[in-house]
Amino acid sequence: MNPVLSCTDLRIEIDGRPVVDGTSLSIAAGETLALVGESGCGKSMTALGLIRLLPDAARLTGGRIDLQGDRLDQLSERQMNRLRGNRLAMIFQEPVASLDPLMPVGRQIAEALGRDTDMTRAAVDAKVQEFLIRVGIDRPEVRARQYPFQLSGGMCQRVMIAMAMIRQPILLIADEPTTALDVTIQKQILQLMAALRRETGSAVLLITHDMGVVSESADRVAVMYAGRIVETGSVAQVFAGPRHPYTAMLLRTIPRLDGPRKVALPAIAGAVPDIRDWPQGCRFHPRCPLATDRCRSEAPPLTDVTPDHRTACWHHDRIASDLP
Amino acid sequence: MTQPIVSVQDLKVHFPIRSGILERVTDHVRAVDGVSFDLMPGKTVAIVGESGSGKSTTGYAVMGMQDPTEGRVLIDGKDRAAMSGPERMETMRRLQIVFQDPASALNPRMSAGDSIAEPLQIHRIGTARDRRAKVAALLDLVGLPQSSAGRLPREFSGGQKQRIVIARALALDPQAVICDEAVSALDVSIQSQILNLLLELQSRLGLAYIFISHDLSVVRHIADDILVMQAGKVVEKGRTDDIFHAPRHRYTRQLLAAVPRL
Repeated sequence: MNPVLSCTDLRIEIDGRPVVDGTSLSIAAGETLALVGESGCGKSMTALGLIRLLPDAARLTGGRIDLQGDRLDQLSERQMNRLRGNRLAMIFQEPVASLDPLMPVGRQIAEALGRDTDMTRAAVDAKVQEFLIRVGIDRPEVRARQYPFQLSGGMCQRVMIAMAMIRQPILLIADEPTTALDVTIQKQILQLMAALRRETGSAVLLITHDMGVVSESADRVAVMYAGRIVETGSVAQVFAGPRHPYTAMLLRTIPRLDGPRKVALPAIAGAVPDIRDWPQGCRFHPRCPLATDRCRSEAPPLTDVTPDHRTACWHHDRIASDLP
Repeated sequence: MTQPIVSVQDLKVHFPIRSGILERVTDHVRAVDGVSFDLMPGKTVAIVGESGSGKSTTGYAVMGMQDPTEGRVLIDGKDRAAMSGPERMETMRRLQIVFQDPASALNPRMSAGDSIAEPLQIHRIGTARDRRAKVAALLDLVGLPQSSAGRLPREFSGGQKQRIVIARALALDPQAVICDEAVSALDVSIQSQILNLLLELQSRLGLAYIFISHDLSVVRHIADDILVMQAGKVVEKGRTDDIFHAPRHRYTRQLLAAVPRL
């Protein structure tokens, strides 16, 4: 099946330093791909690069981005703008900051319908209210007239989702959509996003640092470390049998609800490297118990383990047996 | 029987809501509304709940950073409200707090060593030389090289900064540390390092923790007892195993059901 979105060898630099270093990914219609990693790994930069919303300091320096027939890396700013308001939708971590504080939320949702709609005012209002109900907001006629400050964070995120949904986007990019929310609200928002995906057939790129969220709501996962994708595959395969030491250790280090209590967790030594001094070779090698001379000098490429599972590790056969 | 280090008895913290031009008090936010628990030496009591549940305010009241509206906080059996100034100062030595964001908890212009020694200076403990030796021992304890003492916060990663904050909290040899979302802002791979450090310090120094967190997996890992708070009230309280195996309150069950499983 043709992917909705694909990018190859995406490169983004800040002040001449690569922050995203040759990232490739693709998402099919109706599929959720989770891009997961720790702070500074380049996951948000990748997403912003895909939709060409990079901050001023950052530059897209290479790579090809295809969105159903459009080369996003080559479109003009004007064409990009039309696309963003139309076939692309985004939701971010801070829903309150993403909304216009001086405009009632109902009008913001109506705006998402686009200027060129030929619907009457009453029809637009009805549609806005219909979507407010669909994202689980009671008394839509009252809520539509309220301002973001009058709603809770969870409710603002629902409004953002309504705005995304009403456009029927082919691609939804959600950058840490539930990180600022309480767990019970997080669960509702993730369920809503799943419903949105089912109804519209959108492809979803979910950016998160939370492995639990990945395991519950994504079909495929791409794990990023220091600007590169180190492992990618179906969530089932990657979680059941990770083939990169970073993924494997990350999964083990998180306290589990069914794990032993009050004992030392298998920790990953060291810290995420600073972008100013990313290590040579495999960037995980200083923290990796399996590292050899080859890892220190030569960066491993992403290679197939199975048809839908790729890893960038010279020692991927040894993960299960030799990782302490 | 051993005496609890901290005993919180029917604690209430209410904030007035003022309205109108006269700013009359028209109502109260019941941030903490009748919380009781004991913290025994060497044990960990976790307070879990969602934002606005009152878990942090409870911690602040225990620390003495927030006066209770009603109820009592006993430190080593003594009511804080009845203490003299010097006595309060003394209890501050025994009780320390670590916050969520280590970057904002450290003075960016002060070296790690000076930050760690500051509580000793404030309490006028030891000579300059004693203090340097203590700083070196504390850096060791939290797993940082002694050469870190002269470096500024910006030279450290997030996890290392939290180690410095923990070293500073331990400078006065406290009996208990309040950890207010102390691992929540850290990366996953760093979070487990700090959790391991907290467990190790507990077994080596016999520390007690009040562990305030929204993360149930983390709380289950570290706590002996748990209080589940909702809207200022403790809705359930018990041994960690019991709360996770057989939650009795509907809200606890909701919280547990909402945790994404790996």
